[in-house]
Amino acid sequence: MPQSKIDIDISEQNGYKVVRPTGDLDVYTVGSLRDAIGAMIEGEASKVVVDLDGVPFMDSSGLGALMGGVRRLREAGGDLAIACTKEQHLKLFTITGFGEGVSIAPTVEEAAAGFKN
Amino acid sequence: MRLSLRWKIVGGYGLMLVLIALLGWVTYSLFASVREVQRTVFNQALPRLVAVDEIVRSYTAQSAAVRGYLIGSEPLLLDQYEQEVKVSGEWEDRAARLFGSGDDRELLDRLIESGSEFHQLVDRRVLPVAQRGNRSQAFRVLAQDGTPLVSQIGDVGQSLRLAQDQDVAQTEEDLSVQSNRAVLILVLVTIGALIVGAVVAIALPRRLVANLDKLVFAARAIGRGDFEQKIEIHSGDEVEELANRFEEMQSGLRRLQQLAAHDRELEIAAEIQRNLLQLPVPASSDFVVVPVQRQANLVGGDWYDLELSGSSLTVVIGDASGKGIGAALMSTVALSSLRAERGLGAAPERIIEQANKVLLDATAPESFTTMIYMTIELPKAEARWLNMGHLPPYRLTRNEEGEPTGHFVDGPRNRVLGWFDDPGYAETASDLRSGDRIILFTDGFVEAKSSEGELFGEERLEASMLRYAPLSLSEMGEGLVADVERFSAGKLDDDLTMLIIEYRPGVTHGPERAGEGP
Repeated sequence: MPQSKIDIDISEQNGYKVVRPTGDLDVYTVGSLRDAIGAMIEGEASKVVVDLDGVPFMDSSGLGALMGGVRRLREAGGDLAIACTKEQHLKLFTITGFGEGVSIAPTVEEAAAGFKN
Repeated sequence: MRLSLRWKIVGGYGLMLVLIALLGWVTYSLFASVREVQRTVFNQALPRLVAVDEIVRSYTAQSAAVRGYLIGSEPLLLDQYEQEVKVSGEWEDRAARLFGSGDDRELLDRLIESGSEFHQLVDRRVLPVAQRGNRSQAFRVLAQDGTPLVSQIGDVGQSLRLAQDQDVAQTEEDLSVQSNRAVLILVLVTIGALIVGAVVAIALPRRLVANLDKLVFAARAIGRGDFEQKIEIHSGDEVEELANRFEEMQSGLRRLQQLAAHDRELEIAAEIQRNLLQLPVPASSDFVVVPVQRQANLVGGDWYDLELSGSSLTVVIGDASGKGIGAALMSTVALSSLRAERGLGAAPERIIEQANKVLLDATAPESFTTMIYMTIELPKAEARWLNMGHLPPYRLTRNEEGEPTGHFVDGPRNRVLGWFDDPGYAETASDLRSGDRIILFTDGFVEAKSSEGELFGEERLEASMLRYAPLSLSEMGEGLVADVERFSAGKLDDDLTMLIIEYRPGVTHGPERAGEGP
């Protein structure tokens, strides 16, 4: 049964925004994350860490939203890093090769340490 | 003011009831007035008149009796006088009760006082003188002082009679005024009741029926497929509410109509995608290949491509990120680019490089495509492939004991297409033994979710592949799809695409013999 709800918490620390989605990140919910990241680009919050600890499932749509966010933020002079400890998501980053181009670390602070730009 | 239909009806009948109650009250008032007149005339005025007349008559009789006695010395007349004194006393008591207080009572008191003075005159000055024998002296006293008193009694009696007449006349006049007013109220109330009755009985149902006719007209239009009929009802009641809901239904039906049109467009897109995917499956004496596909939606992002060129079999499986039309368009772009480059005779690396370039230019930053581009050189019994961010293929073979065994062939990885400028072009190679099966699949198989949110995963997929290894390729594919569908309770969110290739060099394969198992 498709879930259509995801909660997105946004906070700020050490000069970057931390986005914490809670819920499945799939084709039905990904619009919320895309909108949240889009709003940050417009609001000139150029550095963002997305914490995936509250995301039990992520499909290619969710991954696409994250990677789209990476590219758009980098074009705006910022970056997007990912805090993630879930093996399933890490495997997805590894298989698709996104793990090589993006800062992915177990904690928000470690992920933020890998910001480019 | 907005009134519900119920309140209009209740209000109309309520008003009627109020008017009927008013009619009742007016009628009651009229009767009460008549009774008041009756009471004034029969219980008050007439008894008073009778009493006053009796008193006046009695004193006149007393005066006449005393006068007669003085003239003729008849003791009988004296008795008559005494008798009349009692009679006047009784009537005076009765009159005192009837008159109560007020101007008339003062007149009565004057009358009684005059009577009392007359009695005192007769008893103290007339009769004692007469009884001493001096009748003429007594007669003079009676004529001089008694006659004016009797005359005064007559005058006061006359005044009282006139007062009673005036009371009766006043009461009659009051009755007349009240009657006229009551008749006026009756006429007005009757007219009001008729108007309200007419509204309740005629206007309200007529408006209601007219509004319902509009709804019937709109319903018929909907039956004909016309959802544009405007329903102009502003009755402010439930019928207007129904009309509003009707318009919402029309709006919903219009949306459904648009969706149906959209579905037809989707059908066209799906047919285009099917035509692109369902090429004739290549056949040769050295292999069997079976594509398996279950789409979660009409169109999707999963795709594959198969081509046999000489002794080289090309097997490609891809999965565009996302779902629906967007993913389908991306898969079409990837497939078209791939076929165009291959048609020019380009090497796999060049083909993939070009597809990546096309996808980078054509798609949004959120979109990407995973892919395995595999070439099986049949004479060499070797499969080589580039894995572009896709799940690794599974190689199903047999161990030395002849039992099915296998593993995911996880060689060097490249990155997805459509996102990186340089996705990498590392190649993986695997030798093939006769009877080996290579299984390429999309993430729909491993990411299928149970109702508890658990993923089907690679372990379950591998277990199923080993279980179905003895079956034909088609049966294996169907079995794997059935396992995934059962696991997700029939609610697939993603497409399932699988290519199963069996390498059997030198064996002539027909569909019925395909897949005797590795």
